[in-house]
Amino acid sequence: MRPPLHIPDLHAARAVILHRPHALVQAITRQLVAIGLKVAASWPELGPEALGADFVFFDVDMGYDAQFPWDAGNAPMPLIALIGSEAPGRIEWAIAQGSDAQMLKPVGDSGVYSALLIARQSFEARQSLRAEISDLRARLAERQTVVRAVTLLAAHGDCEADAYAHLRQLAMSRRETIEQAAQRIVARFSTEEGGGNVRRDHS
Amino acid sequence: MKRLVEIGLLYSQEGSYAPLTRACRNGALLGIQDVNANPDLALELVAVERDPKCNIDLYEPLCTDILRNSTARHVIGCVTSWSRKEVIPGLERAGGTLWYPSPYEGFEASDHVVYTHACPNQHLLPLLNWTFPRFGRQGYLTGSNYIWGWEMNRVARAVITEHGGEVLGERYLPIGDTDVDRMLAEIKIARPNFILNSLIGGSSYAFLKAYAKLGREDPYFTAPTCPVLSCNLTESELTYIGTAAEGLISAGPYFVGWKSWPQGPRHDFTSSFEAAAYSAVRTLALLLNGRPGAENEKLADLLQSPNADQTMIDVETHHTTLPVLIAQVTNGAFEVLQSWEDIPADPYLTHPDRLPQDVQPKLTVIK
Repeated sequence: MRPPLHIPDLHAARAVILHRPHALVQAITRQLVAIGLKVAASWPELGPEALGADFVFFDVDMGYDAQFPWDAGNAPMPLIALIGSEAPGRIEWAIAQGSDAQMLKPVGDSGVYSALLIARQSFEARQSLRAEISDLRARLAERQTVVRAVTLLAAHGDCEADAYAHLRQLAMSRRETIEQAAQRIVARFSTEEGGGNVRRDHS
Repeated sequence: MKRLVEIGLLYSQEGSYAPLTRACRNGALLGIQDVNANPDLALELVAVERDPKCNIDLYEPLCTDILRNSTARHVIGCVTSWSRKEVIPGLERAGGTLWYPSPYEGFEASDHVVYTHACPNQHLLPLLNWTFPRFGRQGYLTGSNYIWGWEMNRVARAVITEHGGEVLGERYLPIGDTDVDRMLAEIKIARPNFILNSLIGGSSYAFLKAYAKLGREDPYFTAPTCPVLSCNLTESELTYIGTAAEGLISAGPYFVGWKSWPQGPRHDFTSSFEAAAYSAVRTLALLLNGRPGAENEKLADLLQSPNADQTMIDVETHHTTLPVLIAQVTNGAFEVLQSWEDIPADPYLTHPDRLPQDVQPKLTVIK
């Protein structure tokens, strides 16, 4: 079973609408205020207050990269695209900004609440995937260290399978990753360079 | 000289949930009668009626028919959330307003709807918070298979879980279905501390009758140990349930005999549905009084006028500040067990300060 949708705490959350003065800004503002958010509108650039916003709605029809105080695709909060013209070039630009949800113009009586929930959910999923990928990348980068540690342990008495099991056990006993344990082994062997007796390290 | 103002009435007079729609219709007609008889209100309201017969596909066309073929811009109508959501696009096109006098599941604040009955911070949340210390936190959830049942039970599940309780079962019936055996079998095995009943109409009556029968076989399944809770059952349906309603605990803004709401001199309503529909008509009349042509204004503009100060409608959400009452059926009538006054609506549950506070633990006299 899927976990239930996490409903973000919208109490006094802040939203910024990046759009030129227009009835659409009023329509979105009305819905946001009814939901319970604090709202500011901004055009043509996002002011510094945008960095403290919990959600940013942005115009796709007239938008351009320099409006945002962050690099395209790296917004620190969920973004909701306001799409009028469905020209592929504009959609491409909206995607490049990292839109987490979208609303089609004209905005009428509803749509903001679901956009907030969907945007927050996709933003959080993306953040957690990013963190996971960066962790996996870091571990991948240490692959060579693990191989070296296993080789060193094997060279001093263990067979290869035992050496790997030994490394795992070291990592578990110190509550660290295999990569961190491997780094310690490699570091220790390099200081003991030239040999000497290898002690089994169960610390 | 009173000015004539047409208003729409969109209520089914037959069909599966007709007892509720008839209560609302009576309330609206009573409201019109009182407004017309009131010398201080320079208005004569004329009802333009359509009957959707509880057929979901007739609501939107008939609502649009009222807005197109009469001068009415305000329609009092709808009982189910399903029908309310159906008519909103038509209201948007025609610039009309629906006055919706039923309890509902929240998460809506249309620019074309005024909500004159309760939403979850005014019914479900206080009811659960009142129940937990008295009966426990293990619940069984039932509901009709549409947005009211689904969303009420979703909110209930979140609240129960947050308070360290557990949902022991959750089951739905299609609107009108009376096959409650499976629910009863599950409840018998689960032995919850309470049952939240978000069934509507005939399904609800069948469930309550079957549960009363279960209570005669095993006294655990009676109000003192495992009550049935409801946020939509009122006096308007008691005659259809009979003695099986005894012990039922319900939350709402009005029960017979309560006098703090609706505003105005009349307090003899037969149920909160009737009271909320009456209140809708009276509030509309207050907004239009002394402002010729105001009946054609947008709702947002109406609520900005000075007349709006006399109403309990929130300008941001279009919901109503209401009393919150918890009442139990005792000898065929609701007896109020706990009450809070002037609780503003919080349709998106984003304002923790709008939740009724200071729920007193039940005091037991020690002999």
